Amino acid sequence: MISNSVSAIDYQNRPFNLLPVLIAQQLTLIPLYFFIPIWISALSIAVAITVYFTQVRGSWSLPTWVKVLITLAAAVGVLLSFQRLSGRDAGVALIAVMYALKVIEIKSHRDIYVLMNLGFFILLAGFLFNQSPLIAGYQFVPVAAILNALTANHSLTQTSRIMHRSLGQTLKQLSKYLLLALPLMVVLFVFFPRLSGPIWKMPGGASATSGVSDTMSPGAISSLQLFDKVAFRVKFDGREPQGNDIYWRTLVLDEFDGLTWSRHNGRFEKPIKSITSSQQPDGKAELLSNENTFSYDISLEATRQEWLTFLDRPIDTPRRSRLFKDYSVRFDYRLVDRTRYKGVSNIRLPLDLSLSDVERQEMTAIPASGNSRSRNWAQETRSQSIDDREFIMAILRRINQQEYFYTLAPPIMEQDIVDSFWFDEQVGFCEHYAGALVYLARAAGVPARVVVGYQGAEKNPLSNYWIVRYANAHAWTEIWFKGEGWVRIDPTAAIAPHRVEEQLQLDYNQRDSLFDDFGFAAVDLNEISWHKEFQYWMDRANTGWNDWVLDYSQGSQKLLLKGLGLDNFSVKQVSLLMISILAVFLAVIALKWLRQTNNGDSIEQSFVIMCRKLEKANYPLNKGEGVMGFLSRLDNVNSSASSGASSNTSSRAERINPESLKALRRTLERYIFLRYKLSDITENQQKDFRRQVKALKIRTSEAKPTEH
Amino acid sequence: MAANQANKLFSSLKLKGFFASRMPVADEITLEQRSTYILPTKAGLMMFGVIILMMVGATNYQNNLAFLLTFLIVGIGLVSTIFTFRNLQGLAVKRGNIDSVCADQTLAVTVHLNSQSKMDHLTIGIGFDKKSLFYCDVSATEGASISIPYKTTKRGWLSLPRIMATSSFPFGLLKVWTWFKFVSPVLIYPKPIEPPAAADSIGTDNEQGDNKASGNDDLYGLKSYQPGEPLSRIDWKAHARERGVFTKEFVSYQSSDLLFDWDNYQATEPELRLSYLTYLVIQASHNNLEYGLNLPGNRVPQSSGERHLNNCLKALALHGLE
Repeated sequence: MISNSVSAIDYQNRPFNLLPVLIAQQLTLIPLYFFIPIWISALSIAVAITVYFTQVRGSWSLPTWVKVLITLAAAVGVLLSFQRLSGRDAGVALIAVMYALKVIEIKSHRDIYVLMNLGFFILLAGFLFNQSPLIAGYQFVPVAAILNALTANHSLTQTSRIMHRSLGQTLKQLSKYLLLALPLMVVLFVFFPRLSGPIWKMPGGASATSGVSDTMSPGAISSLQLFDKVAFRVKFDGREPQGNDIYWRTLVLDEFDGLTWSRHNGRFEKPIKSITSSQQPDGKAELLSNENTFSYDISLEATRQEWLTFLDRPIDTPRRSRLFKDYSVRFDYRLVDRTRYKGVSNIRLPLDLSLSDVERQEMTAIPASGNSRSRNWAQETRSQSIDDREFIMAILRRINQQEYFYTLAPPIMEQDIVDSFWFDEQVGFCEHYAGALVYLARAAGVPARVVVGYQGAEKNPLSNYWIVRYANAHAWTEIWFKGEGWVRIDPTAAIAPHRVEEQLQLDYNQRDSLFDDFGFAAVDLNEISWHKEFQYWMDRANTGWNDWVLDYSQGSQKLLLKGLGLDNFSVKQVSLLMISILAVFLAVIALKWLRQTNNGDSIEQSFVIMCRKLEKANYPLNKGEGVMGFLSRLDNVNSSASSGASSNTSSRAERINPESLKALRRTLERYIFLRYKLSDITENQQKDFRRQVKALKIRTSEAKPTEH
Repeated sequence: MAANQANKLFSSLKLKGFFASRMPVADEITLEQRSTYILPTKAGLMMFGVIILMMVGATNYQNNLAFLLTFLIVGIGLVSTIFTFRNLQGLAVKRGNIDSVCADQTLAVTVHLNSQSKMDHLTIGIGFDKKSLFYCDVSATEGASISIPYKTTKRGWLSLPRIMATSSFPFGLLKVWTWFKFVSPVLIYPKPIEPPAAADSIGTDNEQGDNKASGNDDLYGLKSYQPGEPLSRIDWKAHARERGVFTKEFVSYQSSDLLFDWDNYQATEPELRLSYLTYLVIQASHNNLEYGLNLPGNRVPQSSGERHLNNCLKALALHGLE
C-alpha cells in the first residue's frame, strides 16, 4: 500500500490555506485600528473579507495596474488624512494600509511568508501608541495566529487526514510554542545588552513641579511651580519643635553622575533596625523624655511613592516600613492614598560618628571629569581653611556675600552644571545650592550628601496641627564632620534675604487653610484592611510594569545585575551568561523531548519488564507460549509442587508464593484485557499498567528441588 | 605552511569521515539526532532579517514592549529548532519490497515510514536528492509508505544511493534533514533489446540456426487474430499501423525445447548479447513457453514460470559480474 504522497513540484504548488493567513493579518492590525484613521481600518477589513470570498469562489486576480492604482490611492488617502507621509502617525498609517492591501497579491507561498513576517513589524508599530499591560498581553494572540498560519500553509492539507485538528488541539499546540518561548523571552529581555539610547520620555517640556522625587537634576529645570497643595499634615503629641528645626526628611541622594543626583544603592539596599524598636519599651520612654525628641502623627497625602516623610532623624518607624542607613524610611507599597502614621524623631540625633572607608569613598565620589573650575576652587579653598567646618563656612560665606540669587526660574544648565551655577549664573533654587555645596565639599574630600524633603510648616490657625505643602519641598545637605557625624547644612538659608525673589515671598503668605482638617479620612498604616492591601498590591504590579518593563533600561539592567552580584561582569560576560542560560534551557527541553522517541508501545514495554521479572524468578515465558498457556502452566506447577509431585514442565519446582501469584495473575489478566480486548488504550491505562508491573514482586517460596 | 595544509587536509578528511560515520546504513533505520542536520530556510532567513529590523526599531525608540516582542520572536525561533527536530526524530524508515527492473527503467523504491514516538510526523519529504522529494504525512498509528522513483542505468546488483529524509514542519523556518542508506541491493536486469532478425536466436538443443526462421520472420510470424488468443501476443505495432489485428505467430511455438544461447551472437559485444537474450527470455515468458538459457559457465535448463524467468534474468544480470 502506497500512501498519498506529493511530489516536489506538487508540493511547491500546493494550494494556499488563506483563512488562517487573513485571520492572523487582521489580529495583527487590530491594535492599530484604534490609532489610525477609521477609513483604513474599514478598508483593511473589507479587503480581507473580499479576498477570502473570492478565494472560496475560485481563483480571481486583479490586473497589476488595478493593484498599483489601489495602492497609490491608499497612499494618497494617507497623505490627505495627515497632510504628510512622514512622522509617527502618518508613517504607521501608511505601513498599516500597505499591510492591509498586501493580501490582494498573494501569489505564492513566499508571499505568505513575507506577509506573516511583516506582521511582527506591524505589531511592533502598535507599541509606539500604547504600552499598557493589556496590549503587551494581547501581542501573544496575533503571534500565535501568525504561527498558526505558517503551520497551516506548511502542511499537506489536501492529502492529509491527520492535519485536520480541532480548534482546541490547535490552540493547545500553539500555546505550547508560546509557553516555551516565554522563558527565553524573559532571559533575553533581562540580559540582552542594551544600548544607552535616548531615555523614553513622555512628551512635555522641561518644567517641573515642586515636591519630592527620588532624583534631582537642577540643571534641567527651567521653571519650578510651587504648589499650594498639601503634602502632609502633622499633629505633635505635646511639645512642638522650633522653626529652625522643622526639616522633614524624606530621601538622601548620594550619587552624582554629572547631571542628576540619585540614590546610590537603589532598591537593593538592606534596611537597618530602628533605634528604638518595640522590644525596648524602656528605651522609648527614655528617649521621649529627651527634650530633642518629638512624637507626632503624620497624615501624608498620596505621593505615589514608597517613601515616608519624618521630622528629620526619625528614631521609630511604623510597621511594614524599613529604616535605611541613611535614615530614609520606605514603606512596603507605594502610597496611593492619604496615609496616616506615627513618627518619633530626635532632632539632634547624631548620625554615623564614624565612617567606613567604603562609605567615605562613596560619600566623596564625584564624576572623574567635568566641573573642573569648581573642583579646583574647592580644593584651593579647602587648603586655605583650617578644617572641614571652616571650609564649609567659607562656602556659605561666599553664598551670603556674593551675588547669589534665589529664583524659581533658573536658566537651563546642560554641561558642567556646578561650574555654570557656581561661577556664571549664580541663580537657582534649593536644589542648585544643595547640589553645588555637596559637589564642592566632595571635590575637597569632605563627605557630603543631599537630603530632600520639606522645610517648615504652618500652623493651622484654627486647630492644633501643622500643614506642610508641596511648596515647602526643599533640598539641603548633610556634611560629615569628624566627631560630629552628619551635620545638616542648608546652603539656601545662607542666601541674603534681599536676594530672594519678592514674588516668592508674597506667594508664601497668601494661603487659605480655613477649610483644612487633619481628620480627613486617611489609611492608617497600623490598620490596613485586606482589600486595601490588594489595592496596594495591584498598584505595585502596575508600578512594577512601569519600572521593570516600560522603563527597563541600561541603567536598570546594571542595577539588576548588581543585585544579582554580577556588577563586575562585562557586557561580553553578561552576553555569555545569557547565551548559556538559553542553551541550557533548550538542551533540557530537547533532551526531555527527543529521548521520549523510542517508547513505542508502552503496554508491550511494560510486558517486557514483567517477562524479565519472571525470568529472574526462574519462571520464564517459553518461546511461542501464549500468556494464557503460561497462566495454566503456572497453575499446574503450583498445584503439583504443592502436592509434592514433580512437574514435567519445570525442573525447578519452586513455588511462587500465593500472594505474588495472585498479583501476577491479576497483572497478566490485565495485560490480556488491554492487549486483546481493547481497541483504544488511553495513556492513563498505559501508565497504570506500567505502575502495576513495576509494583509486581514475584517471590518464590522455598520448595525442595527435585533432582532427576 | 606545508604542515598547515596537511592539517587542513587531515581535518577535511576527518570531517568527511565524521559525516559518513553518522549516516545509518541498514534496511530498517530509526532516525536519530546524531545523524540529523538543521539549517534555516529562506523564510527563516527572512525572519532573521525582520528580527534585526525589529531590534533596530526597538533600540531606536527605546521601546521595551518592542524589545519584548522581538525577544519573543527570537524565543520562538529557538524553540522551533526543537519542534522541527522532533518532527523527524523517532521516525523509522524501512526498505519495502522493491521489484527488480531492467536497466534504463525506473525503479520504484518503496520506503515504509513508521512513527516510533507516539506522535504524527507531518510533511516529511523523502527522496534521493533535495530536488526530487516526495512528501507525505506519517500518522502515529498507521505510518505511511512512499514510493520514490530511481532511474537505473546498468545491470547487476544496484546498491541504492543514500536517501534523504527532510522536514521543515511546523513553521517552515528551519529545515532538518538526514541521510540514510538501505543496505540490501536491488538486482537490475540487462536492458532488453530486440535482436536483429537475421541472427534469430531461436533454436533447439540439437540444431542451431534454423533456416526456416531466418529472413522473413514477419510473414511467418503473423496470422489473423482469433478471438480467445492471449492479448499479449497481438502485434501492437502492426495494429498501430492500421494493418489490422494480428497475433505474432512464433515459429518456436511449436518447438517445445527453446534454448537461448550466448553463442548465437558470435560477432556481437557481450553486453548487447545479454540484452538480446534478455529480450528473448522476456518474450518467451510472455508467451508461456518453455525455454532454457545457455551462458558460458552457467546453464539454466528449460522450464517456464515466473520463478524460472527470474532465475534466467538473474543469471543474465549477473553474468560476468560475480
